[in-house]
Amino acid sequence: MLGTAFTVAIAQGNYEIQVYGADTVAPKNLMVELHSNFTPEGQKYFIDGIRPTNHQEHETLELTEGLTAWSEVGFYVFTSEQAGYGVQWVGDHIRPRVKAPEQWHWPVGVSISTEVGYQRAVYSPDTWTWEIRPIIDKQAGRWYWAINPALERTWHGPDVKQGIGFSPGAKIGYDFTKKINAGFEYYADYGRLGAFDSLHNQQQQIFAVTDLNVSPDWEINVGVGVGPTAGTDHLIVKGILGRRFNWGGKKSAVQ
Amino acid sequence: MLTRRRFGQLGGMAVGASAVPAALWAVAAPDFTVEIAPYTLEASPKHRFRTIAYNGQVPGPLLRMREGLPQTIEVRNLTPDPELVHWHGLHIPSDVDGAMEEGTPMIAAGAMARYTFVPEPVGFRWFHSHTFAGKNLNKAGYTGQHGFLMIDPRDGTPAVADREVFLGLHDWGGHFVGGDDGFMNPVYEASTINGKMLGFGEPVKVKAGERVLMHVLNSSPTEVHWLALAGHKFRVIALDGDAVAKPQTVEMLRLAPAERVSAVVEMNSPGVWVLGEVRMHVQAAGMGIVVEYAGATGKPVWTQPNDLVWNYRQFADVQATKATEDVTPIELSFDSKFQGHGNEELWLINGKSYPKTDEPVLTTGKRYRLVLKNLSMDDHPVHLHRHTFEVRRIDGADGLRGVRKDVLLVPSKTTAEIEFVADNPGRTLFHCHQQDHMDRGFMMVFRYA
Repeated sequence: MLGTAFTVAIAQGNYEIQVYGADTVAPKNLMVELHSNFTPEGQKYFIDGIRPTNHQEHETLELTEGLTAWSEVGFYVFTSEQAGYGVQWVGDHIRPRVKAPEQWHWPVGVSISTEVGYQRAVYSPDTWTWEIRPIIDKQAGRWYWAINPALERTWHGPDVKQGIGFSPGAKIGYDFTKKINAGFEYYADYGRLGAFDSLHNQQQQIFAVTDLNVSPDWEINVGVGVGPTAGTDHLIVKGILGRRFNWGGKKSAVQ
Repeated sequence: MLTRRRFGQLGGMAVGASAVPAALWAVAAPDFTVEIAPYTLEASPKHRFRTIAYNGQVPGPLLRMREGLPQTIEVRNLTPDPELVHWHGLHIPSDVDGAMEEGTPMIAAGAMARYTFVPEPVGFRWFHSHTFAGKNLNKAGYTGQHGFLMIDPRDGTPAVADREVFLGLHDWGGHFVGGDDGFMNPVYEASTINGKMLGFGEPVKVKAGERVLMHVLNSSPTEVHWLALAGHKFRVIALDGDAVAKPQTVEMLRLAPAERVSAVVEMNSPGVWVLGEVRMHVQAAGMGIVVEYAGATGKPVWTQPNDLVWNYRQFADVQATKATEDVTPIELSFDSKFQGHGNEELWLINGKSYPKTDEPVLTTGKRYRLVLKNLSMDDHPVHLHRHTFEVRRIDGADGLRGVRKDVLLVPSKTTAEIEFVADNPGRTLFHCHQQDHMDRGFMMVFRYA
């Protein structure tokens, strides 16, 4: 996930802010998501050639195609809009994912994704990055939780010798009604495994979010996040609008 | 107030108080013995299910009784949990009907019980576990605890066919999965006819020119099933064991959980055929059986229907004008209450969930009309214990006559009406026969004054 893929302490990029659930997109289904993130209060200065994040509007298109009942592949197009720069292409990522099939009857949902991609140097000094993301979740009654203890590695850029970074994400939500779930999401970048950054320089964000379950074909998530540390944008507003398309054709009753 | 779950926990104590030492049972041999015990079902070599069954077989034994002739059945519970057997469709007293909500004691683990009753009415009935499963999809209706029960007329059965075949439909390996409707619903790994997946059981062997009376039972805990026999049609003569006013020849049968259909098939198309679920994915999960004519060889042939076609009203007479009958209406509205996407919904009758549901009082001899308003998003196979009702309104048709049943599938967002005569005093359970629905409160009891 690009949002936590950059390890430059104070030049955070928030492109896709999402804690993944373990489920994958069904085969012959395409999930189209638009991630819209605005930073009302972020980094205001150029640092090491990186553009400031303050008042940046990020639009990310995510296309996820279900391959089998237990696998999918996602593709991202990241863009940024900011006064004086217009709309800019930032980069692309690809993200295959597999999950523990339902037939295994595990007590929690489990999947694992790996994400590889490029982003332009003016938005991230590390231009090629890789991430592996275990995903564990559980729906228990009205409560839902998910954890994403992601590990990151820079393939090209200043952090290439930094080793593996630890960027966990977590979510807890409660079904207030059949259609409204609300809760909190947590995102962080602790820095290099074994040698975490000081808390001052870590990225730490917490979002108040709501998910609207208006239809099985639509995904709606909105939230407001705060980052209390110096290494984090202090205020971010995010939204995800997703639509599922079934291109397998409408099945008849006997199918 | 005792909940159904709590009652199950106390069952061992209740039966312990009424259990009779084994030595006394030996005084008179019962007419039938049903032994409830763990069993491994081999639906196919690759599909084995550890379950519970009657007499080490799935379906359980066929119990054949004669109308009016008292029968004693000994039930031994060799499982570690309290159990109870419900004699479905019989007009028998509450204390032997086999529902703890009516007052039949549970059979404690390791205990036995005897049930003596006069079997009636005539027709195709069945017996099954009537306990709480909750989130354990290897209990109660999810297990192999079901069997056929046939009550023959006291003066002999006029032959309507050359022979009978009993077929039981069931689903296995259930687990809860969040559905598109936002609720947790059971889904299954395999589906069988008479305990075997298609291609792995003994075929039904027939002869050209025969008339075969097929008694089909859907013992699935939660699923409606559609059945067709390639190359043949069904002449439906009875629903839930009761003869219909207008027998019809149909391409396929639809059976909701607990429903039965009795249909004559003219064996006039020699070959090897598939009798199977009409929906492809369910047949692929195993629901089918081969029908093989004597001397015929080759691969079983299946002809895929394009639509699902069925309605109750085709078997009914239609009354042109409503008679001015002395009938007391009782309105029952069905709805659900959201309990979280990780839970099954709570089911409500008139806004209340069992055991808080109302207990309407019936007067012996009076005729009642149940107005069943299904406000929910699900279809519900509702079952009335110890009585047979007549379907008066369903599928958009009113004034129906001559379809008598004990289970009726009430479609979502529709209203159905059924009538019955209160002629069997005692507590009488009314519930949705979907195991997960009844476990989540879709039950109520009628009391007699």
